Amino acid sequence: MIARFLRSEHVAGWAFVLPATALIVLFGIVPIGWALLLSFQQNDLLTAPKYVGLDNYRNLLHDPVFRDSVRRTIVYTLLFVPLSVGGALGLAVLLNARLRFSRFYRTAVFIPVATSTVATAIIFNWLLDPTYGLANFLLGKVGLGPYGFFTDPDQAMYAIVAMTVWGWIGFDVIIYMAALQGISPDILEAAELDGSRGWSTFRHITLPLLSPATLFLIVWSTINALQVFDEIYVTTRGGPLQATTVIVYYLYSQAFQFFHAGYAAAIALVLFAATLVFSVIQLWISSRRVHYSS
Amino acid sequence: MRRALICGFLAAMVVASGCGGSSSSGSGGTVNIVLWHGYVDTEGKAMTAAAKAFNATHPKIHITVQNYGNSDYALNKVLTAIRAGSYPDIVYLYGSWAANVAQTPRAVDLKPMIQADPSLNWNDFWPAARKAVSVDGKIVGVPALIDNLSLVYNPKLFQQAHVPYPTANWTWTDFRNAAKKLTDSSAKQFGWAYVNDASEDTVWRFDALLWQAGGNILTPDNKHAAFNSAAGVRAATLLQQMATVDHSVYLDSGNDNYANLFNSGKIAMLYTGPWDLAGFPNVKYRVQILPGDQNHQTISGPDQWVMLDNGSARTKAAWTFLKWFTSPQQVMKWSLATGDLPTRASVVNLPQYKQYLAKYPGIGTFVANLKNALKARPVLTNYNEISAAMGQAIQAVLLGKAQPKQALDQAAQQVNQILASGQ
Repeated sequence: MIARFLRSEHVAGWAFVLPATALIVLFGIVPIGWALLLSFQQNDLLTAPKYVGLDNYRNLLHDPVFRDSVRRTIVYTLLFVPLSVGGALGLAVLLNARLRFSRFYRTAVFIPVATSTVATAIIFNWLLDPTYGLANFLLGKVGLGPYGFFTDPDQAMYAIVAMTVWGWIGFDVIIYMAALQGISPDILEAAELDGSRGWSTFRHITLPLLSPATLFLIVWSTINALQVFDEIYVTTRGGPLQATTVIVYYLYSQAFQFFHAGYAAAIALVLFAATLVFSVIQLWISSRRVHYSS
Repeated sequence: MRRALICGFLAAMVVASGCGGSSSSGSGGTVNIVLWHGYVDTEGKAMTAAAKAFNATHPKIHITVQNYGNSDYALNKVLTAIRAGSYPDIVYLYGSWAANVAQTPRAVDLKPMIQADPSLNWNDFWPAARKAVSVDGKIVGVPALIDNLSLVYNPKLFQQAHVPYPTANWTWTDFRNAAKKLTDSSAKQFGWAYVNDASEDTVWRFDALLWQAGGNILTPDNKHAAFNSAAGVRAATLLQQMATVDHSVYLDSGNDNYANLFNSGKIAMLYTGPWDLAGFPNVKYRVQILPGDQNHQTISGPDQWVMLDNGSARTKAAWTFLKWFTSPQQVMKWSLATGDLPTRASVVNLPQYKQYLAKYPGIGTFVANLKNALKARPVLTNYNEISAAMGQAIQAVLLGKAQPKQALDQAAQQVNQILASGQ
């Protein structure tokens, strides 16, 4: 009986997925549950926690810095997602064409994705240095600037957008190129026989067939953009004058600078809920616009 | 955006960290202890060498030193380790965390041991360092490092601009005028640099100015903000005038570019400490005490060796190590190897001290300037929040986005709320 049970496919299957499942439960599910618990506490990670019910959530509603951080995160997302996904589509179409050195270009586009955020940050810190940076030097040659970039509260967020689009567009390009190569030449030939050319083919044939990739990239980029942190942490540290204090940066400073772990957990759960809602809406809207068959 | 980082933080909060601290009594009655530090390069080597020397001369104790990475984040790591129940016996922590450390029951109160042991000569440690490790009648650490801000300058740029070198009697006005003359926008050369990332780096340089003008950060009972006094406004106005009127200040956005720029001869003067000197191999820098207003006070950043309780045998062994490691001879050896300022005043009388002065140009001024480190930042668990509020105000002033009085008043209001909430 036991021997038969052990030989059954269920057991074998679970044995194979057990390591991964255990890791996901341990590092994914358990922390989420623990964060939920934490969000009902006043907890400085040092002394005994105190249960405060929904106080942390109530305080969030009246916290002007949190409200501003939500606004900044939305602005960032609205800039980052269209620029990176749209830009990647354009680049992918260009790189998909038969060009000289196309392998070189493809590599060049992907390198920023593989580069560590810290290295990227050091490069951008010097490129965008208001006094000594190459960016202001070149812009000065054509009569523009000088700009403050990371040091100007009105420009820092745009500099972060530029840096992150540069850093992540390569990933989107790879996805689009794979999708482009998955489009059957038969369909494109059929369209050509029917008299479709250039832009028209792209608009009515290619673009709809790329829609699964587009959906994936929009959802994925949105989730990532709502959680932007590293690039800000290593460049502006939420400044200047909190101009780049987005939700996760605010969460970080509450948890690990001020040791308000309960409050930070409440922020994390609000972000989690918002991300879930956004993703569901996106999937629902696109359920009627995505074409999976090609 | 790379989410692994955030997941890592959360995971670290619940999962027992496997690293370090788990050693126990070894064979033959040897007590194994673990020390965590963030030293690298020269200091890292000196730390390893010290542990080796200690182990060679103390057969009953074996100390293992482990690097925990950047000291800026050490408190998080230590707290995580404590939660996980596996933590080192001795750890290097910033002085500004003394109040936080004092709250954990795992921190050993060193006061009884210090009082029971006159051979330690506790009062030989500099006053600012002793003040920084004392919290509510407890002593939570032994001074590990002391430094202070002094004026480091590039004599070549002074000669080129025909400006006389700074003296010990320089006033703020002398300083401001010199900075202006030393600025050459066409050559992208600045008179001074200021770290303007609104972090503690921004705040503590302001603290020195505030104290020089006769002000204080908080009221003596630590209940209310006091930095928005006339003295505070005077200090912030100096920063405002230099940054937004004279444009004689390079505003560093927090990536420490200022050090490279000073080394490249683009910045004439810095308010900095001995830790930066090794980064200036290309400049024959000189050092002077800070320019003064009512006085020439400086600020010191004392760091500490904190002991964590892993049972009495290990505590005893850890104390033996700390006593040995912070004895005058070892302090002298450490300073000679690393260039750090001696944590004990009596070291000045040791024969090797002359060698130390010769090896590290300008260091004598830093040691002498320790007597100008009279005040300490408030030792409070929510000091980080106070610092953050002040940082925002100073940054707003430096960027010309707010007037000194208005910015400081607003920050004072936030600080009063933080102090009133008491958490």
